[in-house]
Amino acid sequence: MSVFCLSRSMIGFRNSGMMVMVRYAQTAVAPAPEPRMKKFQIYRWDPDTPGDKPRMQTYEVDLNNCGPMVLDALIKIKNEIDPTLTFRRSCREGICGSCAMNINGGNTLACLNKIDANTSKPTKIYPLPHMYVVKDLVPDMSNFYAQYKSIEPYLKKKDESQEGKKQYFQSVEDRQKLDGLYECILCACCSTSCPSYWWNGDKYLGPAVLMQAYRWMIDSRDEFTEERLSKLQDPFSLYRCHTIMNCTKTCPKGLNPGKAIAEIKKMMATYKERKAASA
Amino acid sequence: MALLLRTLGRQGVCLSRPHYRVLYSHAAPMGTTAKEEMNKFWAKNSRLNRPMSPHITVYKWSIPMMMSITHRGTGLGLSGAISAFAMAALVLPGSYTHYLDLIHSLSVGPLLIGLAKFGIAFPLSYHTYNGIRHLYWDLGKGFKIPEVYRTGYTVIGLSAITSIALALM
Repeated sequence: MSVFCLSRSMIGFRNSGMMVMVRYAQTAVAPAPEPRMKKFQIYRWDPDTPGDKPRMQTYEVDLNNCGPMVLDALIKIKNEIDPTLTFRRSCREGICGSCAMNINGGNTLACLNKIDANTSKPTKIYPLPHMYVVKDLVPDMSNFYAQYKSIEPYLKKKDESQEGKKQYFQSVEDRQKLDGLYECILCACCSTSCPSYWWNGDKYLGPAVLMQAYRWMIDSRDEFTEERLSKLQDPFSLYRCHTIMNCTKTCPKGLNPGKAIAEIKKMMATYKERKAASA
Repeated sequence: MALLLRTLGRQGVCLSRPHYRVLYSHAAPMGTTAKEEMNKFWAKNSRLNRPMSPHITVYKWSIPMMMSITHRGTGLGLSGAISAFAMAALVLPGSYTHYLDLIHSLSVGPLLIGLAKFGIAFPLSYHTYNGIRHLYWDLGKGFKIPEVYRTGYTVIGLSAITSIALALM
């Protein structure tokens, strides 16, 4: 107890300058950590260099002074090594979906993907697969967004005259049906992991968009379920899904687009009968 | 101004064709349609000659992915083999027993015969069991990733056992 009091009083007498000196001495004594150089092989293509061919460029980053995620390494490379490296990023916490890319063969968000600490193996980074490349890791997402628009992702009512007059109530159970669907951030990891979407991206809507189509079909407040279903009644929009399940395996938010598509297929088989029965 | 035009346009639609109101009111305020945006996308990307990012060559293969392509491969193989067999029965001059005796007379040994039998039995049993797995999926069941793996390994195990048993017959 007396030792404790003594040391406390000593600290009390120290001025801040001495504190800094003591701290400096302590860190200087500690041995400098071994640098952990990690190789990052990154897909590069520059639209402004005429005749440029896509290539892989290797960067080395010391993991001792880099954040834990792949996005931290990308930002570090851009800040300190090569400012021409181009990629999308925003929130750095897995809610905006901007930094979706193919890392070590799987689609994920760079901000949620921990750097593999094994420095003997390089980390390979490509843009989302089978997409037109705007530059480096930036793909053209316009078709994906247009497909999302095509499913009319908003509440639709038959009678619009009551719009905005009062709330549309929903039971707790009905609201729960939307869990696991509404959390989708449209990062396109799932759609661009799907071989069917690779080969038929012009006509097949892909897992992300189909899951949102399902989200509006089963919303208890929406009155256009049959119309939404009948819009998918062709060989491509929905039925190019062959349950490969790459979508669910890769989803960085842990959602299940494969299951949502299966539920749409089930509804497709019965909705006409239900309509006839209700009429 | 845009708002004014839009409101006028919307009301014009309503006045001229009151019975189409429900249909039109949904389509009216959109700037461009999804179809227009898609057309623009394809035209722009082919004009700019942008590269396509790598896909099948860089994507990491998984067991379910491999099983899916094998299901398709065995399906194509089996339907092709059945058609070829039927065509052969129609076209070739000899009877089925004639060709069976021909194979017997070659006396290729039990190992090769067994392998050939396995080569026919495995696609058949695999496609059948994985077909049942697909029917289970069609009921909306077994979509969690651990379940996908579990049913997948079951299908592989069962088809290996079945095809070995068939090959030994």
